[in-house]
Formats: sequence, C-alpha cells, structure tokens
Amino acid sequence: MAEISWAKPKHLRKTKGAERLKFLIGGGLILASVIYLLVSGTLQGARYFITVDDLLKDGAYLGKTVRISGAVDGESIEYDSENAIIRFEIVNIPSQFDDLASALRAALADPAASRLSILVEDEAIPDLLQHEAQAILTGALEVDGIFHAGELLLKCPSRFEETSPEGLSAIPEHN
Amino acid sequence: MLAEIGLASLALALLLALYAAAACLLGIRAGGDMLLRSGRNAALLTFPATLLATAALVLALMTEQYQMSYVWSVTDPQTPAIYRFTALWGSQRGSLLFWSLLLSLFTFGAISLNWRSEGRLMPYAIATMMATLSFFLGLSLLLENPFERWWILPDMPESRQVVETALIPPGAIAPAMENLAASATGLNPLLRHFGMIIHPPMLYLGFVGFTIPFAFALAALASGDLSTGWIKATRRWTLIAWVFLSLGLILGGRWAYDVLGWGGYWGWDPVENAAFLPWLVGTAFIHSVMIQEKRGMLKTWNMALVIATFSAVMFGTFATRSGVIESVHSFARSEVGFPMLAFWALMTFIALTLLLWRWQRGELRGERQFANILSRETMFVLNNVIFIALFAAIFWGSFGLPIISELFMGVEVTIGPATFEFFVVPLFIAMYILMGIAPLSAWGSTSARRLGKAITVPFSLTILSVLLLMIAGTGALVSILGYGVVLFAGYVALFEIYRGARARHRGLNENWMRAVIALFRRNQRRYGGYIVHLGVTVIGIGVIGSTVFQTEVQHTLARGEIIAVKDYGLRYDDYIRAQAVDGRMMNIAELTVLRNGAQVARIRPRVDDYPDMPMTIAGAHSTLENDFYVLLIGGNRERATFRIYINPLVNLVWWGGIVLIIGTVIAAYPKVVPARRIRKREAESP
Repeated sequence: MAEISWAKPKHLRKTKGAERLKFLIGGGLILASVIYLLVSGTLQGARYFITVDDLLKDGAYLGKTVRISGAVDGESIEYDSENAIIRFEIVNIPSQFDDLASALRAALADPAASRLSILVEDEAIPDLLQHEAQAILTGALEVDGIFHAGELLLKCPSRFEETSPEGLSAIPEHN
Repeated sequence: MLAEIGLASLALALLLALYAAAACLLGIRAGGDMLLRSGRNAALLTFPATLLATAALVLALMTEQYQMSYVWSVTDPQTPAIYRFTALWGSQRGSLLFWSLLLSLFTFGAISLNWRSEGRLMPYAIATMMATLSFFLGLSLLLENPFERWWILPDMPESRQVVETALIPPGAIAPAMENLAASATGLNPLLRHFGMIIHPPMLYLGFVGFTIPFAFALAALASGDLSTGWIKATRRWTLIAWVFLSLGLILGGRWAYDVLGWGGYWGWDPVENAAFLPWLVGTAFIHSVMIQEKRGMLKTWNMALVIATFSAVMFGTFATRSGVIESVHSFARSEVGFPMLAFWALMTFIALTLLLWRWQRGELRGERQFANILSRETMFVLNNVIFIALFAAIFWGSFGLPIISELFMGVEVTIGPATFEFFVVPLFIAMYILMGIAPLSAWGSTSARRLGKAITVPFSLTILSVLLLMIAGTGALVSILGYGVVLFAGYVALFEIYRGARARHRGLNENWMRAVIALFRRNQRRYGGYIVHLGVTVIGIGVIGSTVFQTEVQHTLARGEIIAVKDYGLRYDDYIRAQAVDGRMMNIAELTVLRNGAQVARIRPRVDDYPDMPMTIAGAHSTLENDFYVLLIGGNRERATFRIYINPLVNLVWWGGIVLIIGTVIAAYPKVVPARRIRKREAESP
C-alpha cells in the first residue's frame, strides 16, 4: 500500500520558492523603474512657479526656465499676425490672495506694481488673452529684459465671477 | 412659484435622504425589517423629489425666470432653447443639483435591481448612497442654492439694496423683470458647443456611477459578507460608470479640439487629469476583479481599488469645484471647497478603516497564491501595476508636487505637458504590450513555450505591419515602433475573436457569421472586452498620428491667393461679417480646400464677437486620413491670417471611442435567458 504524505515534495517547494523570487525580482524592477521615471522626469521638468516680483528681484532666475503668473494689461497686447508673435505686459499679483478676480483688478490698478514684458512666438492669439485675465507662462527672463514664453495659459476669473444686476427698479405688486 | 417648488422639493429630497440613511443604519442595528423597508422607500423617493427640483430649475431656465439668480447668470434673452436646457449644468449651482439627480437615479436603479438578490448588503449600500446624496443635496440647499432669487431691500443703503436669497427677506420687493432680462449675463461662450451638451452629463454619469460599486464594497466590508456577491451586484454598474466616464473624457477632448483652437485635445491640465484619475483606477479594478471572480484572489486589492476610484472621483470633484487648483477649467473659488475636502477625507477614512479591520481579521485572504509568472492573473496584476503607476505619475505631477513643494519649500513647483508625456509614454507602451500578451496566457499557469506559440500569429502580423510602414516611409522609427506596439494589442484581440469563431465553425459546423454571433453571446464579457481593446488600439493609432505627425503653420493670404501645405492647398475666397440670430457678430472667412489641385471642400473658420470675448471656431475638412483644420486669426476682405493644422489620423481618436463604447455595451448588456430555460432550471431545482 502506498504511503500518503501531506508534506509537499521537495521539488515542488523549490519551484514555489523560485517563482516567488521571480515575483520579487520582477516587482522590485518595476517599482524601481517607475520611481526612476518619476524622479528623473521631475528633476528635468520641474519649474518654479513664482511671481513677477520674485523673478525680477532674484538675479538667479535670469535665463532659467520658470513658471510665472500675472495680470494681463489689455492695452499692451500687440499681435503680429504675419509672424505669429504676441507681445503684452503682465503686472505682478501676490502669490496668496482670497479672490483671483479682485487680485487681478487690484494689481492692474496699482501704479507701483512691477510689470514685465512678455513675448510669445509662433502662437495663434488666444481668445482669452484680454484685460484682467490671469496669464500663466512658462519660459525664461532673458538679458533683453523680456520674458520669452514657450507656453501660455490663460484664465479669465471674471467669467466665473458672481455678479449682481445693476440699475434695478422694483415692482411692488410682485411681492 | 417655480423657485418655491424647487426649494421645497430640494429640502424634501434632503430630508428623505437623511431619513433613509438613518433608518437603514438603525434597522441594521435593531434588526428591524420594517425600518429597513421604510429606509428603502425613502431612498427610492429621493429620485422623484430631486427630479421635481431639477424640473423646476429647467422650467425656470426655459421660461426665462430671470428673478432666479441662477437663470440670470447663465442665460439671457438671446440664448437658444438648447443652451437654455444645457445651462442646467453650465455653472456650479445647477451642476451640483444635476449631480444629485443622477445619484438619486442610480440609487433608484440599484435598489430596484438588487434589493431582493443582495438583501444583506442593501441596507449598508443604501446608507452609503444616501449619505453621499445628503452631502450633495446639503451643498445645494445651504451653500450653492440654484433657487435663490434677486430681491430689492428699499430700506437698506444703496450698495446693499440688491440681495440674492432663497427665502423672501422681510420688506423685500421683486425687481422688474425687464431690467433683469436686460442685464442677464448669458452662458459662457466657451460652453455654447455641441460637446458641452453631452460632455458634462457623460462625465457626471461616470463620476456618480462609481458611487454604486463603492457603496456595495463598503456594504460588504461593514456587513462581513465578503463573498463575491458585492462584485456580482456591481459588475454592471462599474462598467456603466466606466463607459460614461470614458465617453465624458473623449467628448471633453472633442470639445477642446473644436472650441479651444489649439489643434489638440488633451493639455494635461489639472482638471482634465482629475477626471482621468478615476478612469485609471476604475480600469484597473475592471481587470483585477476578474481575478477575484475566477481565482478567489486579490480580495483586499479589489476593495482598495473601489475605494480609490470613489476617492479619486471625490478628489476630482473637489479639485474642479473648489477653485484651489490653478486650471483653465476651474469653477469660481467657492465655499464648497472645504466641505468637499472634508467629505472626501471622511469617506476615504471610513472605507480604509473598515478595509484594514477586515484585513487584520484575515477575512480578505485570497483562496490561491500566484504560482506562475506568465499566468493570466500575473499579467492582470502587471496591468494593474501599470494603471496605478499612471495614476501615481499623473497625480504626482498635477497635485502632489505642487502641494508638497509649496508646503516644504515655500514655492510651488509644477511640471508641464512635456514632463507628463515623459511619464506616461513608457507606461502606455507597457500597457499596450500587456494588453496584447495577457489575453493569450492561461489562468493558473502558462509555459513560455505555449505563450510563445499563441503570440506567433499576432506578432508576425505586427512585424509585417511595421515593415510595411517602414517601406512606406511613414515617419521616424520611434513612431513606427509605437504603431507596432499598439497594433500588436489590436491584432491579439482580432486573433482571439477569430480563434474562438474558428473553433465553433469547425467543431459545430456553424457558418462564420453565426459562429461570431454565438461567440459574443456565450461570453459577452470576454469578447466585449476584446472589442474594447480594439477601440483602445484605434485610439492609440489616432493619438500617435495626431501628436507625432501634426503639421502647424501660419500664413497671411490675399483674397484669391493659394497657399500649399503638404499635399493640400488653401485658397482665400472671401471674408463676411454677419449677425447670428442671438445678436452676436460673426467674422467668417470663406476658404476652398484643394488636394492635388482639385477642390475637395469649402470651409468657413470664424471668429464670433461675444460681449466679453471673441471666440474662434475652427473650419475643418475631416477625413479618416486626417483633419485639415484652419483657424481665422484676423484680417479683412483683402487679406486675412490663418493658422493651419494637419492632424493625421485624429478622427481615429473619436472613432476608437465609439468602438470602445460598443465593446463595453456588449460586455455589460444583460444576458437574455429564454423563458423555457428558466422554467427548466426551476423544474430542476429542488
């Protein structure tokens, strides 16, 4: 009569151990690759998101690719459609504010606020590039004193702002 | 009157939802069947109550009730009827109410379908769904009420005379309707597009739909019924939510392509990414749940994925609506930010605590262990790893890095689209390779030899396609290899369908058509899944073509002048200023598109002048091969400037989306069991 043993045969235990090792090595390699991807990508592509004031005050940023944000001065917008060049000025807005629309309005009304000339090449003029829009730009401040932007994002908070109707008259009978 | 009806039904819906959640929890604790049934009935009633509130708002929008401040802020007398209706989700307050309507609808469906079959889970699931609904209804009622009206308070100082309240303040007078109509702001021009009619509802259906699997998962964790019952109950709901979310993302891309005028459809903006994150985790869940069903493994992991999907939905909603994330899509910075963050944190905390508790008790232990590195379950786990890595990379770039750098360095650090592409391209390549290999491996164990044999035909077809593309000189080697990887996944899906049909054709003597139909009928999920894979393949081809091979130029043309762009020609014919029915002025350029000298289309790119901003609408000549896409930059009758894009294969992105939807519908479609088979089963059962 054959003997029955509940213990796993040695060769099977070995196979399981070998498979587990394969899983551990494979998993470790994948994890290491993903971490490497994230770290190297971040180190290469990370950009400081600073204010116009920070950029102008700190000489270390000259020629360095950074991300800045400012209020668009509508009167300064010029578009050379033949060469697809956009020029405009942005005004410093603080990094912390309660309400973006008010911050943009206040910045443009402040004659002492720092201003920065922007040049964007080879771009169609965006619909949202208008007075009191927030421009978020990626590029570098060059020695010519102009910020050369490669990427331009715009946000018009006034479009989402809660406003109230003006010049209302009452109709007492509706009450 | 509509405001009163809306307000009362909104309040009623909130009371019903709160009562339903409380009754279910008390019923579970006290074991009271009557209390549970009462809770269920209250939960069912939240749908008609929310529907009534929504109907009141829609009616107010359609009948121009400008005294209601929401109507005043999103429509004006010139707004066409269709956009009056879509204005329901055109701004924060309406869209929150719409969100609640969809959640109450899903809850209604889940209770109707699952009350009998999942009796043990349902009270917990209802309590979860109702807690979520109460939160959103509460936001609508207390913070973002769409039924507020304008009132004049004559006794107040002039600057505070006009107020916006839901209830009539003492001594208040209603403003004159004609003045309100004259000052109404109208819908944001960017939202006046066909894509906006269906993109938000699809996205919301996807977001809201994931509440149902989450509710059932939480119910399983709370009740201790950790069998596959909760998975069976939610399988279809998950697929439904997933397909709506996919559709929402694709339509969002289409809207951006048509309206934002930059020739692209995905900008790696934080809000876009926030909608993509739940899709990634949801897709991982759809795959890994099969391992639990087939092999009884990954029970903890699946629970974690469902929780992560719901958590990502809530986080995405918070990111979009709080206004705290810098994005071109954000709503106004509003008061809903903190409550949403708190609700997200609370629900995630409850779910993770329950998960940890069950895990510690060993109740989520798998029935098997991974035995073979080439088995299908290992492939599915690898697929999950890729999706989670994509999730981690996109979350890190969109939210993690900016928030952590701000906290620890005092300066916000961000990354741009190029870095996102650096992250995701290798991961997507890995995803397509796995999409190809996984269906060919077997459950349990597969030898390398067997897998190699199964891969031979699709791999040979891939090599052949790559060689043909190289001979045709389609482009750089990298992009050709990209096509190869994507095509491999598609060939595997086609080959698997062919193999299945061939087996029936040979074994059962069925003709090919009948064999394919029978194949899909017998295993809807598997073959529906292959159609989804084909859809993803088509999207992949479209994405590579339209991003790697895009042509972009800008030219100024005199009237009658022709410019050549690749093998196309563009002739500037005329420039017209015309007034639309809603009063806006349109600047329209009339252009003729030529190809190899012959006229192929006439297109009319235009710029519409809205009171606050211009809006550029592209003119496009679309074929499956490419889009000839033109923007009018400016000009007059004599000269005008155009930005011209040739986007190869871009339409495959949209067509792939349609294939993906068809596949999901096949996979999720309820199986029709003939009556005679049911009778037979009933007769056989003891």
